[in-house]
Amino acid sequence: MAAIETSDSSILVEGLVRDYAGVRAVDGVDLEVAAGEIYGFLGPNGAGKSTTVRILTTLLRPTAGRAVVAGHDVVSGASGVRRAIGVALQEASLDPLMTGRELLRLQGALHGLRRREAAARGEELLERVDLVAAADRRLATYSGGMRRRLDLALALVNRPRVLFLDEPTTGLDPASRAALWREVRALNADGTTVFLTTQYLEEVEQLAGRVGIIDQGRIAAEGTPSELKERLGGPALHIDLVDLGRTEEARAALARFGPCTDRPGGGLRVRTPEGARAIAPVVRVLDEAGIAVDAVEVDLPSLDDVFLALTGHRAVEEDAEA
Amino acid sequence: MSAVALERRPAVQARVIVALAQRALAVQLRRAQFLIPALVLPLVLLAVIASGTSAGRNLPGFPTSGSYIGFVIGGALLQGALLAGMTAGTAMAGDIEGGFFDRLLAAPVHRASIVLGRVVASLVVGAAQACLFLAVGLIFGADYAGGVLGVTAAVVLTAMVAGAAAGATGALALRTGSVELLRNFFPMVFVLLFTAPAFFPRQLLSPAMHAVTRFNPLTYVVEGIRAVLHDDRALGSPAAGFACAAGLLTGATALAVLAMRARTRGA
Repeated sequence: MAAIETSDSSILVEGLVRDYAGVRAVDGVDLEVAAGEIYGFLGPNGAGKSTTVRILTTLLRPTAGRAVVAGHDVVSGASGVRRAIGVALQEASLDPLMTGRELLRLQGALHGLRRREAAARGEELLERVDLVAAADRRLATYSGGMRRRLDLALALVNRPRVLFLDEPTTGLDPASRAALWREVRALNADGTTVFLTTQYLEEVEQLAGRVGIIDQGRIAAEGTPSELKERLGGPALHIDLVDLGRTEEARAALARFGPCTDRPGGGLRVRTPEGARAIAPVVRVLDEAGIAVDAVEVDLPSLDDVFLALTGHRAVEEDAEA
Repeated sequence: MSAVALERRPAVQARVIVALAQRALAVQLRRAQFLIPALVLPLVLLAVIASGTSAGRNLPGFPTSGSYIGFVIGGALLQGALLAGMTAGTAMAGDIEGGFFDRLLAAPVHRASIVLGRVVASLVVGAAQACLFLAVGLIFGADYAGGVLGVTAAVVLTAMVAGAAAGATGALALRTGSVELLRNFFPMVFVLLFTAPAFFPRQLLSPAMHAVTRFNPLTYVVEGIRAVLHDDRALGSPAAGFACAAGLLTGATALAVLAMRARTRGA
């Protein structure tokens, strides 16, 4: 199957749809990921992230639409896609009875490496992800962070052009998460395109050049983290009043600075493009009105705010954090 | 080297099959719940039958060639082979349930190689098992008049049945992806065993059972095993045994490959 010309794109998705028994898990997704980019695919559980990744990695067929990865159509050129990609799947895809070294050698064989080549590549990757000492231990004895590192190493056996990381840091402690992020940055610096799904806003802010927010199977927004935050209209000031009984007077006095809303637990939130520069004028106006101020804080918008504004709910619900 | 070429290159796929078979064997050796039924259960049943039903030997019409344990060991080989194949299918369903199967599917591997890796591993397990059982039988008084050639032929027949059982249960695993369902098929091993003259000569079975055994291909395999072990064509036809074993192995493997195709196309 000849490769398809897709300009500079490593991934091109058009009108992708996937139905499961009458339920539409992915509903017309369009996206494009440039070569050498880290693309963050953000959304809560059940949003359609993993289904999209499974289609892009040829594990599922789309119901409609098309997707091209590394120049190969995921349906008609699935073999070419598999050759060009690395996939770090969920933790469960590691066999707990195998050792890290065995699994790396098997992965090498699956990618057509000869016995010696597979062994050498395995050793190289064990060193890269700092698992040499644990290489001959069964995976059942590995910690979550070790499993994720091994999973990443397995995805790199064939030196992929496009790397899919499906929630690579879910359940990891901060140190393990930071170590994995460093590795992803290093891979990207070497020219690998990374498609990263996550529930963690911090993860995409740390790693991704661009972000796609998926909710209920649809792309709700796409852009750089800065672009997405700018859509919210800039930073906000949180103002705590000494006398909450004067909240309405304060709201009227502050209307000139921008949209003014109530804060949970009392006080006001004023969204203003001036940010910190507006603190002094705001305090002055309230002082002139005789309204005492307890505290003023600058609140920079986060991707979580963007997510909330776009979808009406948080990216990670508290009860779904695990 | 293009991806398509990689998946179609026999040498590459041979390496993949060997690697997958090695993995299946290593995991099987480490998983007691897979190893014990295939190794211990047939030996226990062999001990029970050899000690508890040896008086059957005195029935008129019972074959006289070889010892009683030498006669019933063919049934133990068959049972071990079926159980080994069954555990292979269960392990494949476990891979599907646990997600390991996705790792295989996401690699540029010919889908048939994934099935063949499992079948080859079962051929090895079946052969190893047969060697062990025949050695145990030898210790407890069995004699094999067929000599090395007969024993080798019996080992090959047993291995083929194990491979066939792996193919059949692999097909089930691929269609259902359920470990639980595969475990529910466990009693089928005994249905297959007792509808073949695994532990008793066919001519001494009731007419109804005799008729049933004619339609069970394992009948010809177990009789073939006895014939080669004791170098006595009156016990069965080696050619019929090999033909049935080869048919079962080919058919079951083809079934598994078709199930794999259906699974990946329906994904």
